[in-house]
Amino acid sequence: MPALIEARDLTKKYGAHVALDRANFTVEAGRIVGLIGPNGAGKTTALRAILGLTAYEGRLRVLDREPFRGRAELMRDACFIADVAVLPAWLRVDQAIDFVAGVHPRFRRDRAVGLLAKTGITGGRRMRELSKGMKTQVHLALTMAIDAKLLVLDEPTLGLDILARRAFYDALVNDYMDDTRTILITTHQVEEVENLLTDVLFIDKGRIVLDSSLDDIATRYAAVAVAADNLDAARAGKPFHERRMLGKVVLYYEQPNLEQLATLGEVHALSIADLFVAKLSGEAE
Amino acid sequence: MNTAIWLVRREFWENRAIWMIPAVLGGLLVLASLFGGYRVLGAVDLATVRTVVQAGALDGMIFIVVTFFVVMSIYSTWYLLDCLYADRKDRSILFWKSMPISDTATVACKLGTALIVIPLLYFALADLTTLIMAFIISVRANSYVDSSLWRGGLWLQIQALWLYLIVTAAIWYLPVAAWLLVVSAWARRAVMLWSILPPLALVIAERVFLGSHVIAGQLAARLGGYFSHALQYDPGAANWITTEIGHDTINTPVSVLRFLNAGGFFSSSDTWIGAAVGAALIAGAIQLRMRRTEI
Repeated sequence: MPALIEARDLTKKYGAHVALDRANFTVEAGRIVGLIGPNGAGKTTALRAILGLTAYEGRLRVLDREPFRGRAELMRDACFIADVAVLPAWLRVDQAIDFVAGVHPRFRRDRAVGLLAKTGITGGRRMRELSKGMKTQVHLALTMAIDAKLLVLDEPTLGLDILARRAFYDALVNDYMDDTRTILITTHQVEEVENLLTDVLFIDKGRIVLDSSLDDIATRYAAVAVAADNLDAARAGKPFHERRMLGKVVLYYEQPNLEQLATLGEVHALSIADLFVAKLSGEAE
Repeated sequence: MNTAIWLVRREFWENRAIWMIPAVLGGLLVLASLFGGYRVLGAVDLATVRTVVQAGALDGMIFIVVTFFVVMSIYSTWYLLDCLYADRKDRSILFWKSMPISDTATVACKLGTALIVIPLLYFALADLTTLIMAFIISVRANSYVDSSLWRGGLWLQIQALWLYLIVTAAIWYLPVAAWLLVVSAWARRAVMLWSILPPLALVIAERVFLGSHVIAGQLAARLGGYFSHALQYDPGAANWITTEIGHDTINTPVSVLRFLNAGGFFSSSDTWIGAAVGAALIAGAIQLRMRRTEI
């Protein structure tokens, strides 16, 4: 079975600015992939290319289609929420449901109505009357009622309070995700999605700097917190990043010798946020 | 087809002015017919009165057609400029583009709304206005004239006139409408200004550097030349019934349809060159719509 998304030398230039610089990555079916990078790294550009919203250079296949030319067909099997607050102000909730039911062959109206019933938002309300959190719930209900193979989320919780953010991710995992679906998500709040993801793609300056499953990350990386007198010995193990913390130094290793590290100090696994900071600040040095 | 219906319905949700403006216009005209005064001719015979009133009925019906047509032209211009811009401005384009609808279908439906759906709606509401006004005026006038003033034949001619105007105006103004769509799909702000500025710049540049005014002439011919292409004002005696009342002469046309210049319009190269330019501009608007997602 071919990969769900396959990018080879994916490049996008805006004038002199290179937003995507020969990026290579694949996304397999059934995964929840986090596309993580600093501001201006090319996250949104990559998603826009995948969704057929922008032209690009290089080779890109999504669900075995060329997304830019075939966006309309692609959207039968893929759906996306690019920023939550994009439902137009004049649209009524019941109109939104009617419209999607009218044009989308895989939309399950009963499911959308059921999801909305739980939120208590009535059909006669216009988007301009709803709070950002409520709008998110409407958009989410519409999107989750579509039987899509691929769901793409671009900063889905931007501007939401913590309650709404939590509700969003709970609904995503509990009501939506199953093994027939694949989710690609970008966010600044790495900690928030860490428990959700099966894979991560780190992107920086338009290039993919890490493409790994979380299982691999757990076995491939480790950190050790050492006291000052053990520092030289620890540095001999060639850490790729160091961080000072409360009088100790935390050193990060790839392919570590765990037994040896254990003699130097307390060993622990890397969180995605740790790895992200280490990888990107390491690159910068 | 189903998708097209939903896309047009969506336009009505977003732009309630599509039906509210002609509804209000019709309402005002009906009010005018309810309370407006009119002069009754003095001591002349009934046949003359009838001639005068019938000429008035024709003028009235034509007046309603022209009023609705002019208001519609102004509204449609605004609609076309706004329709591919508004959803980029509020970013709701990201929602619409998440639906399995091609940009070609989107642009085509907006163009179809402007050139066919809105004109048909204005036509229907103008008809309704005409019928209500005719009824009111007939009732009010009946105390002076012995029978109904309703002229069914004339009303049927007006139906044909409307359909003819809708079809020919859609073809004639296709390049103008398509240009407005290009601006609407392209501009980051000030769509109105951008719709005028590039053509104006071309006109001025041609004047300054070449000393000619071909582009200005073409633009003027396109914007102002519709009626001279689609209609013919033929004052030939055979087309008119002339009635003398005192010092006044009243000319009533034999048939409104004699003013339609269908043969001339559809065989004119101007018509089809314009349509071809329009088609090219529509293709451009679709490409812009595919590429420009945000302001």
